[in-house]
Amino acid sequence: MNFTRHLRAGALAFALSTTALTGAMAQDASLDLVEPLAQYKIYVAENTAELVKDTEAFVKAIKDGDVEKAKELFAPTRTSYEAVEPIAELFSDLDVSIDARADDYEKGEEDPTFTGFHRLEYGLWEEGSTEGLDEYADQLMEDVKELNSRINELTFPPETVVGGAAALMEEVAATKISGEEDRYSRTDLWDFKANFDGAYKIFDLLKPVLEEKDSEEFLKTVQGNFDDVYEVLEEYETDEGGYVSYTKLSDEDRNLLSTKVNTLAEDLSTLRGKLGLG
Amino acid sequence: MPAPEPQPKTPRSGLMTLAIAGAALLAIAGGAAFYYASQHAAGQADTTDQFRVAVSATACEPNEITVPGGKRSFEIVNTSERPIEWEILDGVMVVAERENIAPGFKQTLTAQLRPGDYEITCGLLSNPRGILHVTESEEARTAASTVGLRNFLGPLSEYKVYLVQQGMAAVAASEELAAAIKAGNLPKAQELWVAARLPYKRVEPVAYRLSDLENAIDPVADYLEKREADPAFTGFHRLEYGLFLQETTEGLAPVADELVADMSELKSRLGKLKLDPALLMAIPGDMARQLSDGKIKAGEDHYAHTDLDDFAANFEGIAKITRLLQVVVEPVDPALEKEIETKLTAVETKLSELSGPEGYPSYESVDEAERASLSKAFQELADVLDRLDQVIGVS
Repeated sequence: MNFTRHLRAGALAFALSTTALTGAMAQDASLDLVEPLAQYKIYVAENTAELVKDTEAFVKAIKDGDVEKAKELFAPTRTSYEAVEPIAELFSDLDVSIDARADDYEKGEEDPTFTGFHRLEYGLWEEGSTEGLDEYADQLMEDVKELNSRINELTFPPETVVGGAAALMEEVAATKISGEEDRYSRTDLWDFKANFDGAYKIFDLLKPVLEEKDSEEFLKTVQGNFDDVYEVLEEYETDEGGYVSYTKLSDEDRNLLSTKVNTLAEDLSTLRGKLGLG
Repeated sequence: MPAPEPQPKTPRSGLMTLAIAGAALLAIAGGAAFYYASQHAAGQADTTDQFRVAVSATACEPNEITVPGGKRSFEIVNTSERPIEWEILDGVMVVAERENIAPGFKQTLTAQLRPGDYEITCGLLSNPRGILHVTESEEARTAASTVGLRNFLGPLSEYKVYLVQQGMAAVAASEELAAAIKAGNLPKAQELWVAARLPYKRVEPVAYRLSDLENAIDPVADYLEKREADPAFTGFHRLEYGLFLQETTEGLAPVADELVADMSELKSRLGKLKLDPALLMAIPGDMARQLSDGKIKAGEDHYAHTDLDDFAANFEGIAKITRLLQVVVEPVDPALEKEIETKLTAVETKLSELSGPEGYPSYESVDEAERASLSKAFQELADVLDRLDQVIGVS
């Protein structure tokens, strides 16, 4: 089928390269990005739908007063949230109420506005009880539902998606490697895996576009670094498909992860420029 | 505030208008910058300089900043005792951020800012947020009026997602319809027939371009030599003919299976379809005109008379694209965007006026005057959508 024959003449005066681009490597944005961006949107929507489903079970366990069950569901429930973190800046309010750490609040754990996963984590592990958690569980449920419906209505800015992989790797390097995220449950490695998956998804979807731009060496390097971090994580996998406590991570592996994640952050930060979205 | 510019009619005059307005604006911006400089401490007013923000344990200093629109740099100094992140927020969306600024350290953040009011975060979540006023400037106006391919990437990819979703829904709905037909459940099949058309009708503007499929899925007997007896009479209307006129599911199973197969093919082709900006801009106007030129007058659901359900789904498809394009049109031609929205609302209103407590009534009960009025609403929408191509001419 020839689609163009339906187009009115005169509609084609696009300013395809009028945006001032800086840097020798800068390229024009290409229509080839449409497919990866669409696929990424679908990936995110699938994850937030999964998050709603998993959160329902997690919340139910809390409200049933089943501490063991709730602890078991905590880490796997979080993975679909952590996988979409590259674009968390599109819903900063929900990111705060769903996933903020106690340090972000003046009174830490005692702060009444400290909510979300980590508030529940604190209750389940530090206090060993579901007591008083109902309202936080309800709030979490409401927040992830809101997230899911908002995602479906939202047009993702291409710059945010393409830049998201690097942004998340930077965050992992800057704050997560220290183990600050899941400090009560020590389930950090579950999050890492989901974070890597989320960032890798973006890279993977963009590969065909990057290939056309003659970045073979770049692709090989980034792929290699992802392979390396996945390899480290694999050593800490349990038979049930989960991960051991973060305290079991050797210093050597922690350093290796840190180095690799920093390199990934640096390399992935060139994606926007390479794809004309600088 | 700068005086409103006349709307550019062609790329050429658009350029001229912009250039002239630009010169005028430059003078205004110069004056404003001077005024601003004289009112504020040196180093905070010149657009090429960095705006310095200190973040203490409790607040940003200053807590209210005014900068001209365009590419701006901020130097963020962490004077608190904890690591901080600094963000510029547009509603809930982060426009730009610097993470993990250690106590006593400073970092620079550069962002492309459109005029408007933003919030800035100031350390702890419990600290009050500051305000960033971004004022009109020549630089910001130039940036806003430059329409490039990248402006379309968001709408295009979002529409691609829509096509994929509707394709999946079309397959699922036709499968349900086929199952009801095979079960010999006439009332259920009648109900599902109406529902099965909706996802298809939402993407019809695109499906129209896949003419072989369109001819198998949705031919109307009027256009076939032997009308209902024609072997080419297949798809939705063949099923409609059986379900609503002959009032039986007998003999319809093969037709339903064929429809399912065609919908699967449609879904797969929609998934592979390459979209471009010109197509995205042409589709809604073309579709609105198709409705106003013929379909509304005659209708096409001759046996079920559920045309209004079809039109409403068609409209959803038109509105989907049009509202996705808003991010492209609005910065360049806000007046046109407003007009489009007005015309969309007019159609929406017309449709909801026709809707009754049980949904849309039989199209037989919609008289000529009402049809003409609905047709006119779509025509006016088409007319204003035709002007979309001018927007792209500006640059």
